[in-house]
Amino acid sequence: MIRRTSLPISRRAALTALGAGATLAALFPEARPLRAAPAPAKYFIGVYMPHGMAREFWLPKPGFQISYEGSSLAPFDDAASYGQSFRDQIVALEGLDLTAGLLASTVGHDASRVILTGSGTNGQNASIDQFLAIEQGLGQMTPLSSLVLGVGSANPALQWCISYAKGGTALPKIIDPVATFRHAFGQFLVDPDPAAVARAAREQRLGKSLLDYWTRDLAELSARSPQTERDKLDQHATALRELEKRVIGQSLTCAVPEQPQASQFPAVGSYQGGEPYFDVISNLQIDLMVQALACGVTRVSTLFLADLSRTHFDPLLPEDVHTDVAHRYAAAGREGSGGNPTSQARLARQNHYTYSKIARILQRLSEAGLLQQTVLVAMSDMGDPAKHSSRQVPTLLAGGWGGALRAGRHIDLGAEGTPSNRLLVSVQQAFGVESDSYGQSSDPSVLSGTLALT
Amino acid sequence: MTRARSLCSSLLVLTLGCSSGEPPTSGGAPDHSLGPAVRRLSTAELEATAQTLLGSGTALAAALPPDARQSDYSRNVAQSVDSLLLGQLFDVSRSATETLDLGQAQYPSCARTALPADRECAGAIVNLLARTAFRRSPSALEIEQLLGLFTLGAQGSDFKSGIALVVRGLLGSPKFLYEVTLGEAAPGPNRLTNDELGSELSLLISGRPPDEALLLAASRGALASGEERERQALRLLQLPESAGLYRRFVQEWLGLIGLNGLSKSSQVISGFPALREAMISETNQFVDDVFSHQAGSVAALLAGGYSIVPEALAGFYGIQPTSPGARVNLAGLGRVGILQQASFLATFAHESESAPVLRGKAVLTRLLCLDFPKPTDLGVDIVFPAADPAATTRERFERHATDPVCRGCHATLDGVGFAFENFDAAGHLRTSESGRAIDTSGSIQLDGRELALTDSAALASALANSEQVRQCAARQVVRFAAGKSDVSVEQAFVDSLKAASAERRATFLGLFLEFVKSDWFAWRSAQ
Repeated sequence: MIRRTSLPISRRAALTALGAGATLAALFPEARPLRAAPAPAKYFIGVYMPHGMAREFWLPKPGFQISYEGSSLAPFDDAASYGQSFRDQIVALEGLDLTAGLLASTVGHDASRVILTGSGTNGQNASIDQFLAIEQGLGQMTPLSSLVLGVGSANPALQWCISYAKGGTALPKIIDPVATFRHAFGQFLVDPDPAAVARAAREQRLGKSLLDYWTRDLAELSARSPQTERDKLDQHATALRELEKRVIGQSLTCAVPEQPQASQFPAVGSYQGGEPYFDVISNLQIDLMVQALACGVTRVSTLFLADLSRTHFDPLLPEDVHTDVAHRYAAAGREGSGGNPTSQARLARQNHYTYSKIARILQRLSEAGLLQQTVLVAMSDMGDPAKHSSRQVPTLLAGGWGGALRAGRHIDLGAEGTPSNRLLVSVQQAFGVESDSYGQSSDPSVLSGTLALT
Repeated sequence: MTRARSLCSSLLVLTLGCSSGEPPTSGGAPDHSLGPAVRRLSTAELEATAQTLLGSGTALAAALPPDARQSDYSRNVAQSVDSLLLGQLFDVSRSATETLDLGQAQYPSCARTALPADRECAGAIVNLLARTAFRRSPSALEIEQLLGLFTLGAQGSDFKSGIALVVRGLLGSPKFLYEVTLGEAAPGPNRLTNDELGSELSLLISGRPPDEALLLAASRGALASGEERERQALRLLQLPESAGLYRRFVQEWLGLIGLNGLSKSSQVISGFPALREAMISETNQFVDDVFSHQAGSVAALLAGGYSIVPEALAGFYGIQPTSPGARVNLAGLGRVGILQQASFLATFAHESESAPVLRGKAVLTRLLCLDFPKPTDLGVDIVFPAADPAATTRERFERHATDPVCRGCHATLDGVGFAFENFDAAGHLRTSESGRAIDTSGSIQLDGRELALTDSAALASALANSEQVRQCAARQVVRFAAGKSDVSVEQAFVDSLKAASAERRATFLGLFLEFVKSDWFAWRSAQ
């Protein structure tokens, strides 16, 4: 049984119970899968992987061997590092093209926009995470409808975002773990001091009045605005409802975790001195993300990971991964020969690092008992990064998908390229959405169809 | 090859558009109008208003997520109020109002001693604050609603707490967060309301809420007149606080905002983060100077022959430090204008090497308003030239000229970009690369003529005298003002400028004034 704690939770009590570095197992000792039988998926996680994929070291060997030397997928079969092997919890999906993007001149780095939206630059639809959270109500009952995170860059330009609101606007990412903590858990911190409790009660009263005031004004503005502005104002209304949940206060299904110590990462931004701390930041963002899912703060999250440039975490990689690894990659043919094996191995090291972070997500999900109900999709904006090609993008699916994914295998959709929209259709169906298309394109035929994942 | 060329050419023509040849309309709805819109203010605009409300700086801009941009402009009609922004706004406004000082000169003197029950004093302050936040006079009902917040905030507390809640209410109000340009509620094309005209004029010209003089002019209906809008704009442009807007416009127009998100290889330069600040400082001071003394002359920006070099950048440029703010003639170093400033050169370069394609594309898209198809539209992969320590960057990129598919667009792009090859990835002057002499020769198609270029200084001189550049500058003003790209309106505005004086067409001051005066500023199409 999951313990439900009514608000306000005593910050002092919570922090007394938890020491620094407490594991999720300690945080959620009672957390276990809710059902033994397959159930519709409940949680969605989307992860962006930077700079394309080295297929040569991504491809599982016969028998779904993924722990061979140099394999970028090896972290998923590394029980020593991640508590257990997740080999049987993943699918290596090959043959997807970001077709809707290709048809709309949205390629290369900008194709990160296509990953979860299934539409190109001018698409107006929401990304699948926001579609599930807002339009399908997955985030309706949780304090946050979704948690959009990143590492390194808060830039809301196309090449830095995978989450998009209805209307096509990129959603901002939180890149500072302290800000992530405050956004996800700050509202549940209440000082038990009587004066502080009185202040909080007053603040709640004032907050409700402010919300009433703003909601009335927004309704008035919406009523006289043209249809072209409606998506934008609807998003504002959604933001107000989200703030209302925070002001009113909602219940939390676990104790508030420890706040990250800012001293661990004196800088957080790319090119702003944050690079040496990206590993710490990535880990904290992942832990907070899964804690937020486990605590019922949200059911939907995305994470935009950074590359290894200037981090010096991997001494075998050059300083500038973008130019000297991704641009210098020389692929083998689909039959597996040719190209430059050294360049392939280098890109695979970058991919391996990113997958190690996803393995950490799976580890945390497993510890929290959420893995079987989670749909995780991890994808890059490119397959071959030297060509800036958004075709043939090796993709990772993980989690139980609520029974909609038969994992532990390699699926090859073929060299001709399958529109990635089909993956998004399969995702929405895993959440019980009975629709057979997703995204927007000048060619509607790319939007429909599903993948055979079970 | 043929397909690549023809597609490239057709898109160039499409983007430039065609002149309708029709005279500009005056005093009524123009043939092409911007659509009615609700634009969320940029973080800089939000911060400027919050500062005016609170009388001091706030942490608003730093706390809010960065702006989503259109064509690099932060004035963007597509921006919205998302959950993260609203939550952070809620938190920042609460902490900012905790230090609210009602003893400041901007507040009525009654504020210093008023008791919670003093609604008269509260009403005076609320009216003042709402005029700033809403960028217009509040209605009696709006004052009453805000006084309701005041009463709630002051209840069981003090007068200041009541005003603080009002300020929080204003900072989260849609009436503050959005610039509304819907026009009068009538069928067909709409003229903006008097209030909308005042708000739009102030935000466009100064990036701030309207001052009292502008609010008065708006309330009297004077801004319906293009001449009065121009007069008010000229007045606003002379205010020191408007200078920040020029800087922002130029940085966004030329894409220099990207510099803060870039790094350079330690093999190219050390200490780049500190130098980056100096680069931005140089451009800001130069822009200030050109706008203050030469009305934002396009020619002076591109080929004025001088700059204002911060001490931290002097060594990088190979000159002796000069007194702060002094003009320095850098023409002898090949730095004749903003395109040879390190900020531009470093922005449009890779981490460890120069980028002729990026530099060429920046000039052609931002100064000539051309557009190019993506290589993938042509069925071409974007492949970075292989490393070759024995070749110059130019030699590696010249593969574009031999590949028939690439040549369609790259003959145009690279011909411009190669002219900058005497500047490395950080913008440092160089005469050789990989032990080989630098070749800065290039070419450009300008004003219908093919020009051979000796280097980027020659390019800058040609651009400075180009009608095509002046027309693109006019388009950029419309794009910035509109918060989006609208090719029809841009073309119509360019056409209308045929009747304007040469000076008007050649300076950003003139272009902004012409736009503010025009019907495209004042009218919106039917909803």
